[in-house]
Amino acid sequence: MDKIIGMMESVIHQEHGSLALVFLIGIIFGGIIQYTRVDKFEKIAGFAMLKDTIVPKMLFLTVGLTSIGLYFMIEVDGAHYHIKPIVWQGLIIGGTLFGISMAILGKCPGTGPVSIAEGRIDVLIGAIGGLFGGLIFTLYYDDFFKPLMGESLGKTKLTDFFIGYEHLVVLIFGIILTVIAIIIPTKELEDKDELN
Amino acid sequence: MNKLPWWVGGILMSGLLLLTFSIFGADRPIGASTYVPYFAGIVFDLDVEKYSYLKEVQNAGAWEGVMLLGVLVGGFVTSIFITKSFKISIIPFGWEKYKNNSVLSRILWSFFSGFLMIIGARLAGGCTSGHFMSGMSQLAISSMIFGTVVMISLLVTGKYFYKLDKDK
Repeated sequence: MDKIIGMMESVIHQEHGSLALVFLIGIIFGGIIQYTRVDKFEKIAGFAMLKDTIVPKMLFLTVGLTSIGLYFMIEVDGAHYHIKPIVWQGLIIGGTLFGISMAILGKCPGTGPVSIAEGRIDVLIGAIGGLFGGLIFTLYYDDFFKPLMGESLGKTKLTDFFIGYEHLVVLIFGIILTVIAIIIPTKELEDKDELN
Repeated sequence: MNKLPWWVGGILMSGLLLLTFSIFGADRPIGASTYVPYFAGIVFDLDVEKYSYLKEVQNAGAWEGVMLLGVLVGGFVTSIFITKSFKISIIPFGWEKYKNNSVLSRILWSFFSGFLMIIGARLAGGCTSGHFMSGMSQLAISSMIFGTVVMISLLVTGKYFYKLDKDK
């Protein structure tokens, strides 16, 4: 319990939004995911089987719209970049493991908690597996995982290759992703347990 | 059943991301996998001073931890009052249809894939939220590499792990 209070105190001192705001961001995040039902096994594993396309449609639309909005917010100093570094081995090995497990569990770390909150016991077991994953990663980080990730090649953005044309690149990127979201054919794998 | 269309979800999620990124919001991206090693540190009672990784994720882990509590509340309330989809269950319908109807099989695979998922996310430095949504929205090259690798790996696994000819 002390550590949970410590967690909250840490957020209060971080200047990344008030405790209430961070909690509220979580509530809205969970609410959107639950209300669109994209946390369902049939949506995520269903996409892996190419029997459902709601998840990629929503993801591409989200990224398309956000990329344009965020770029202009950064331009007027209303937001900042928080780019993750290019670590080739980490991205390729990690991405491969992540894709395999996402197809099998039918969740990711953001949608999993929503599924647990709606009563999915299998996902709770998956989360316990995840805690052990976090434990092993922490215990063997210095000796094994950090060397495995490889050297960081910096925090490059696509726009860094098009100096002088950043606006245009962002606009084209955002529009292409939005168009992809719209033209992906809509397919849905229905969950018969939820059809009345 | 009561649910929002994908495009409404996409617009709302985009609004939430922009709010979170904004200096009037949290001035940081949304992430959802750093909280796991942070909670592992709490559950297994690890000493933060002894483990360099725990030290590294203290701030981000705490932030995401509080967000996670919100996600659980938001998901629970929505499933009870709006979509009315709350139900205690173990085997998802799609698993029963395309894999098997064994509780033990679903539980073992869930544990194993949950374990692998966190190792994968922490190796890559992010997940669907941190890399795919937040990272690609900033046009980060690292996130585009991650997104491409995950898509390929996800689709290949989906093709070979499940019995796709079971459509009757």
